[in-house]
Amino acid sequence: MEDLVKKLLELGAEHLKADDAPNLVIDKSNIIKSLEIIKDADFNILSDLFAIDYSQYPEHDSKRFAVVYNLYSVSKNERIFLRLELDSDEKIASASDLWKSALVLEREVFDMFGIRFLGHPNLVKLHTPDELEGHPLLKDFPLGESPTLFNDGRFIDPSSFRASLKGASKGLTGYKGGARRGMKRVRE
Amino acid sequence: MSKTITKNNKKETISNKSEFKTKLMRINMGPQHPSTHGVLRLVVDLEGEVVAAVKPQIGYLHTGFEKTMENRSYMQNVTYPNRMDYTASFSHDLAYVLSAEKLMDAVVPIRAQRVRVLLTELNRIASHLIYFATGLLDMGALTLYFYTMREREDILDLFEMIAGARMNYGYFRIGGLAYDVPEGFEEKLRAFISKFPKMMQQYADLFAKNDIFLARSKGIGVLSQEIALDYAMTGPSLRATGVGLDFRKAAPYSGYEDYDFNVPTATAGDVYSRFMVRFEEMGESLKIVEQALNRLEPGPIKDPSRHISLPPRDELASSMEAVIFHFKLVTEGFHPAKAESYVATESARGELGYFLVSDGGSMPYRVKVRVPSLINLQALESACKGGLFADLVMTLASFDPILGDIDK
Repeated sequence: MEDLVKKLLELGAEHLKADDAPNLVIDKSNIIKSLEIIKDADFNILSDLFAIDYSQYPEHDSKRFAVVYNLYSVSKNERIFLRLELDSDEKIASASDLWKSALVLEREVFDMFGIRFLGHPNLVKLHTPDELEGHPLLKDFPLGESPTLFNDGRFIDPSSFRASLKGASKGLTGYKGGARRGMKRVRE
Repeated sequence: MSKTITKNNKKETISNKSEFKTKLMRINMGPQHPSTHGVLRLVVDLEGEVVAAVKPQIGYLHTGFEKTMENRSYMQNVTYPNRMDYTASFSHDLAYVLSAEKLMDAVVPIRAQRVRVLLTELNRIASHLIYFATGLLDMGALTLYFYTMREREDILDLFEMIAGARMNYGYFRIGGLAYDVPEGFEEKLRAFISKFPKMMQQYADLFAKNDIFLARSKGIGVLSQEIALDYAMTGPSLRATGVGLDFRKAAPYSGYEDYDFNVPTATAGDVYSRFMVRFEEMGESLKIVEQALNRLEPGPIKDPSRHISLPPRDELASSMEAVIFHFKLVTEGFHPAKAESYVATESARGELGYFLVSDGGSMPYRVKVRVPSLINLQALESACKGGLFADLVMTLASFDPILGDIDK
């Protein structure tokens, strides 16, 4: 595992802090090269591939999307997460030549986020109907819920109610219940 | 699609003999079809009776669980995971709470872990019982359905005792369990444990040496190890090709390292192996259930931290502190630190894990479910290509697809 991480770091990968499995960020141009290195190190299962839309993440200053590859090696019983960052109009190379499981996973990412994969043989929607405009897991895709109305004209708008529960806000009272890890970080 | 496939050996021999010209025919199987195990549509290209291509079309049951969960607090989200895989609900519940607990650094008491393992394994047995019932039903063997559903009923009665519902339990909580197991549960479970091996013998007598079953499953829908790994197949279907990957052994969680059990494998990779691996797995699961039950000792069932678990009900009447914590947890929930977590678990179908991204708020910023059924299903075409159309039904059944788990 150390050899593999070293090779990836030589390619310009950046190490993210992670407690059990290595979590690396790689530049978009080097993605296929690094995936090939990982595959040569006997990581024979591309277990998962998904995207994260960071557009509403508090204090996030790099690109909008992250695409995460979750790879597992049966012989070594090890797992590695590789990720790359990209903006909404950027395209990335498909990993379907390396692992067949990328075929369906990349379709899912395309359907949910609109990220395009170059070289994918059949990049069409997976879950949502053809008539649906947009990509549902984008943070700006509306939820389509209606406000709760009362007789006296008051109403509760669900999205503004929920906004107080997001990380960017201090919460309803500014109180942080606090996980142990969370409290520790604050003290540090 | 035009009639392009001409170099198929089978086709040439047929047309030489009888001068028939077979044309590639495209038919839709499903979405409303009893043997697709839900609303799955298979677009099948047939050349006579030989399958030339199978394209699964999914999305008829797409519910948007990930989006929903991103807009609910961690505690509210306990309700959703079990609705995805409605035959092995506890597996999904367990995968979600484990990932959320990793985010929160929650400490799960030993009794809660034992009860979780016990219920998850019982649920695995129930799920495999449905697998045998519907799988053999697809073959025309109706009798086994009544036998396996009879024992599944016993398991569901036990679950009803625990959670008040026969499906969609929502009994696990982040940090432990909602409440302790009810009185009388252990006796009822012991009665089931002593009875079940006899019942398994009954199933085996009914199908394991049945000529029709053997003829329709041995050598059918063969999947090689390389192809299965290439498609990221996991679970019993992968173990039927000879890879002994089981996350209960490979990356033990919830104290699975303490239990003594085997991981059954087979090497042929055909429908028969997939059935038999699951059959043996039921016996192993029963062993785990028995061990967990024997080690069940009285003790706490929740993380004692008031920042994670709700205070006990009786304290609310006497302690203002408890009321405040209760109010804060219910209205707002807890706030994990900015972090990510993933715990791979072994569901009845394969690797199942929740990738949670926290932004420091009380709702997960991103929820990604690694569902086993969706990914396993993609290998269907490789297993069916070149086989007969009637075997496609059996091969699909042997993959154990659950549409809630596929469509999310």
